[in-house]
Amino acid sequence: MAQRSLTPEQRQRYARHLALAEVGPQGQHKLLRARVLIVGVGALGSPVALYLAASGVGTIGLADHDHVRLSNLQRQIIHTMDGLNRSKVDGAARTVSALNPDIKLETVEATVDERNAMELLDRYDVIVDGTDSFRARYLLSDAAYLLRKPLVHGSIFRIEGQVTVFVPGRGCYRCLYPEPPPAGAIEESEDVGVFAALPGIIGTIQAAETIKLITGVGEGLVNRVLLHDSMAMTFHEVRYRRNRACPVCGDHPTVQSLVDYDAFVRMEARS
Amino acid sequence: MIDARHHRQRIIDEVGEAGQRRLEGAAVAIVGVGGLGSPVALYLAAAGVGRLGLIDDQNVELSNLNRQVIFEEGDVGRSKVEAAAGRLLRLDAGLHVDARRENVRASNVAALFADYDVVVDGTDAFETKFLLNDAAVLLRKPLVHGAVLRWGGQVTTVLPDAPCLRCLFREPPEPGEVQTCEEAGVIGAATGVVGSVQAEEVIKLLLGVGNPLSGRIFQHDGLLGETRTTPFPRDPGCPVCSSRARIRDLARYEEQVSPRGHVLV
Repeated sequence: MAQRSLTPEQRQRYARHLALAEVGPQGQHKLLRARVLIVGVGALGSPVALYLAASGVGTIGLADHDHVRLSNLQRQIIHTMDGLNRSKVDGAARTVSALNPDIKLETVEATVDERNAMELLDRYDVIVDGTDSFRARYLLSDAAYLLRKPLVHGSIFRIEGQVTVFVPGRGCYRCLYPEPPPAGAIEESEDVGVFAALPGIIGTIQAAETIKLITGVGEGLVNRVLLHDSMAMTFHEVRYRRNRACPVCGDHPTVQSLVDYDAFVRMEARS
Repeated sequence: MIDARHHRQRIIDEVGEAGQRRLEGAAVAIVGVGGLGSPVALYLAAAGVGRLGLIDDQNVELSNLNRQVIFEEGDVGRSKVEAAAGRLLRLDAGLHVDARRENVRASNVAALFADYDVVVDGTDAFETKFLLNDAAVLLRKPLVHGAVLRWGGQVTTVLPDAPCLRCLFREPPEPGEVQTCEEAGVIGAATGVVGSVQAEEVIKLLLGVGNPLSGRIFQHDGLLGETRTTPFPRDPGCPVCSSRARIRDLARYEEQVSPRGHVLV
């Protein structure tokens, strides 16, 4: 495909990228042509969407079923008071379009589940996990692997967070966590605290990993998970490998289509 | 009154009801409302820090918008501090925001440190970074230093009687020795990582919890995906914080902040 040159306005807007050896005009074109799906427009989705839009990722899908609540505004910096009680995807889309009207936004006001995940994820190049449940994490990981799409995983819990990138064939969420935690260990999210700036760190690292996947530069957080403790202010890296016995991405997969993830999380929890 | 807005934070042991009130009563100065200042201001406002001082004399430019996510395209040409103040009040109208359209200089830095509990360095002019460091040491106030270039950056917290920026880097580099963000480029997400770490540091300092990056430096290389914190000691020959200090006032900075002077980050 012939590469169109950047407009004078784009040369201004992305001047700091054009100066970077690893991005330059070619990398900026890749970003402008890219399609990224952000599932969950909350604590993690806020910085991911803001920074990907600022970077000029051409098409951003925003999927979330929820409405903005006052208690979200302590950390979900894409939302504002005007958006209270309105859909999160619409509120986020307004903020993002004001920042960069160049970006095409595709909003999906729905829960991503086993019925719609394959069709939805298939329309994007990279998937970013900004959700807050084990059900969604296993669902997105399985769907991304079955579609052979890279998935940028992030999660936060109280004062801790983690990031890693699942590239098909090099490990998935199930390789890292073969089973969901026991039922008693899973708390309702409203009862779990979140340190305000923590999702900023995890979400912006997710955004940087997404940009590296699109532009094909640097060393991705593949086969390693970065763990952050905000109180101790420490970062640790733990390496992991694809599990050859993984039921999804292992040598002899037994899961070749999506399953019932509510049941999966409950069943595993009981056993 | 039940504070629904900060519920998810108050239920953290390290914050609690008393901690949330302490944040409400706190005042933080953010020097430089650019790539670093954007996430710092947004996250401190979201966390409920009662008063935020925004200090910057620049206007918003289109080339800021690849990383300065506190602004929108309609802000281009407007004063940064005014545009940012408007955005913060849309997040929480109950906040007090001081929009100070000025640059930090030797003549006003003492007043700035006196007005706020913690100062955050969101600038990228080396002379300003050293001015803020020296002022923090001499005035015995906490400073959260941050810097960013290309795909990464660093953060360290300067506290009284603890290592300072000059224990690591004695003098600012000569003009032209190190490239600026304008010349070398910067990825927006890198400013987000560094700025979010700075915001976490500020909240912890205000609450008096956790381990601050005092005598430690956080370094992030987003391109390699490498993030670490490394301890460093006080330099017994540090020109500003040691017993052999030769910098005893800010006269060296005179009125000129920097030949580059701009807050580019």
